[in-house]
Amino acid sequence: MKKTIVAAALGAGALVAFAGAAPATAAPTDTAMLSVLHGVPGLTVDVYVNDELTLDDFEPGDLAGPLELPAGTYTVAITASDAADASSPAIGPIDLPLEGGVNYTAVAHLNEGGDPTATLFTNDTSQMAAGQGRLTVRHVAAAPAVDVLAGGSPVITALANPAEAKLDLAAGTVSAAVAATGTTEPVLGPADVEVAEGANTIVYAWGSLEADNLDLAVQTVAVAGMNSSPDGVPAGSAGMVATNGQDSGAPVWAAVIGASLLAAVALLAGVARRRSAARAER
Amino acid sequence: MLRARVASGVVGAASIAALAALVLLTLVGCTVPGGEGSASGTAAAESATPSASSPARAPVPDIPRTSASLADRPALSAPAPVRLVVPDLGIDVPIESVGLDDQGRMGLPANPAIGAWYRFGSAPGDATGSTVIAAHVDSAVYDIGPFARLAGAPAGTRVEVTTADGLVHAYAFQSTAVLPKESIDWSDAFARDGSPRLTLVTCGGEFDYDARRYLSNVIVTAIPIG
Repeated sequence: MKKTIVAAALGAGALVAFAGAAPATAAPTDTAMLSVLHGVPGLTVDVYVNDELTLDDFEPGDLAGPLELPAGTYTVAITASDAADASSPAIGPIDLPLEGGVNYTAVAHLNEGGDPTATLFTNDTSQMAAGQGRLTVRHVAAAPAVDVLAGGSPVITALANPAEAKLDLAAGTVSAAVAATGTTEPVLGPADVEVAEGANTIVYAWGSLEADNLDLAVQTVAVAGMNSSPDGVPAGSAGMVATNGQDSGAPVWAAVIGASLLAAVALLAGVARRRSAARAER
Repeated sequence: MLRARVASGVVGAASIAALAALVLLTLVGCTVPGGEGSASGTAAAESATPSASSPARAPVPDIPRTSASLADRPALSAPAPVRLVVPDLGIDVPIESVGLDDQGRMGLPANPAIGAWYRFGSAPGDATGSTVIAAHVDSAVYDIGPFARLAGAPAGTRVEVTTADGLVHAYAFQSTAVLPKESIDWSDAFARDGSPRLTLVTCGGEFDYDARRYLSNVIVTAIPIG
């Protein structure tokens, strides 16, 4: 299936550029999409991919990409921003095995105990029904398991670092909050999150509970084939401009009119006969 | 480093530079002031990133970055269309934003003199996709609607759509089709990719007098003009 990126982050120029640079032999499904989220508070980093400096001075809370990459395994090392090379990383090196046709986000974050780590998430780009949006919540914060509340009620429970949970729901704005599991007192939020139709809205809880810098980050993943179209457009109910005035219901009217005419003829005929008879009688 | 929610335009060339660097292992330098324009494939270009000034290090690809903060999230959709005018056909109707009816079809207002924009699809200000605006062709209550005049209009007919931000987007009819409903691939009409376009939909053709429905849709495709 053709996968065309329509994410808002990509301008028309990007599409042109991608088209120009894609290897001629590569089918679309031979490439993966990768975004990178920086979720380690207070630490500006450099990101090395296969020992090449790829993201320089990457700031907490920022999202990079998406990049279209040939399927394969990439080695990622994250260093302090003043490092000369990838030899002494703060996180990693870790191997990211990227499959063709799959959309990923690699997240640098804290584990539950507060140590820096990295997790590769697969973003669900499967098709959903018209009118629906997908909400994915990822726990990448130095905090115990949480519940996610929508409109004050838990919709996701016991979500622990570094797990995710997701649900498809009617597209629209959700008032979301995060609370320690089993409680309803928010440690984050409530915040209004617009769940886009036909897209995957991914919310990250990141930072540290202990350091009092928990925060929400959001990423929208929308690729062709995720949304569905309406089943039709019912746009008329009276038949006033129909091209088949003589068909369908028309015979009924024809029959009625015809019957009336026949009756009239019969009546006239009867009258005529009576008149004739009268005349004859005369 | 500059926070790069600045410009989606930077994305293109930058992404490509990154791709090239990763894949081809070529040194790709790429200065993209303002972000427009083509990716440079030459190795000599000056890099915009500070650390790349070190002669020992390859220029760093300028991969697009945005703040992922919820507060910085950009609007998900372009401004909604609010009015549609086709001067040559005497059509001038307000437009409501609609979703789906209880059967998963596009839900239109009962009044044929009110247009309906499918709010989950593209809007006139979007860079890609089909903006779908539909209206009933008739109604036993309201009589025949303005969209009844679409079917007979020639290619080139001008149509203007005003969006909530006050901008007027002009299009010209490109093609008009009357298609049996069961044969229509709605994923084309509602596509969110491809070049920007306007799709006007109403009903037409033969009428099923028992089911009280038309058997065909009239679909006008219009393309942006200056």
